[in-house]
Amino acid sequence: MADRSPSSDPGLLLLISLAGGPKHGHAMLLDVAAFAGVRLGPGTLYGALTRLEEDGLVEALPLEGRRRPYRLTDAGLAALRGRLSGLNAAISIGLARVGSR
Amino acid sequence: MKRILRLYPSAWRRRYGDELSDLLEELPATPATTVDLLRGAARLHMRAFFDRVAPRLAPAGGPPMPTHPLQRHPTASALVAVLIAAPTAVFVSLSFLAYQLELPGMQAWLQPFMDGLQQAPRIVDLFLLAAPFLAFLLATLPLIGLRMERVDGELRVTLALRARTLNLIVLAVCVVVGGFLASHVLAEFLFEQP
Repeated sequence: MADRSPSSDPGLLLLISLAGGPKHGHAMLLDVAAFAGVRLGPGTLYGALTRLEEDGLVEALPLEGRRRPYRLTDAGLAALRGRLSGLNAAISIGLARVGSR
Repeated sequence: MKRILRLYPSAWRRRYGDELSDLLEELPATPATTVDLLRGAARLHMRAFFDRVAPRLAPAGGPPMPTHPLQRHPTASALVAVLIAAPTAVFVSLSFLAYQLELPGMQAWLQPFMDGLQQAPRIVDLFLLAAPFLAFLLATLPLIGLRMERVDGELRVTLALRARTLNLIVLAVCVVVGGFLASHVLAEFLFEQP
């Protein structure tokens, strides 16, 4: 079965990371590894970042030295909230069902 | 590892190339990173391809869209048909000049090719024979639109033909070449049987 868990969705992981404040690429990789235990590759990171920026969920900030930080947009925050609420409902139901067995 | 960045779409590289390049300086060069970069490049190319193709496939009003891929790409079908039929067309043309019109010197010039063909695997013969008919189908199918619908309880079949110069030329050539080849094979079969 394909892994559909949040940890297999780089876009969601990046949104969660940026919800903690603006970050550049390397900082996002470290943050995701820290909170989700997932080591994203650079190709995966920038593929997901490209999609999120095209969808208007994140935006690039001016360069800081050679690094470009990104931050969550209002639309990104709303999308993240919606995704997490959906996951939270599924998790609650799942835990309740597992607990009742 | 930065060489892999050359595989990324150029428009993408202009926007993100420097950032990714800087990031790579901070990461260890591992096989996993290399594979991830290659996969990223492939995905971006796929996305760029589908972004280009999708608007053409989406109907934007007007008459109903043709249904099968050959109808959507009649010119491409005709060009593929040309490629398939070309070896047979060349072979038939040269044979016609050498053995029907008996142009001086042509038979001697062509003989090594004929000898080579005699010794070639059977599949080569079969391809040369089948090519005009396959090419005919490829050139013709994009010109035919067959539509079946049920109107007031009865089945209605509508046949629509369209004329496209390139396809018509290719199918005419296929008819001539295929006809010549078929008549030649038939004559051999009828008159050279023991």
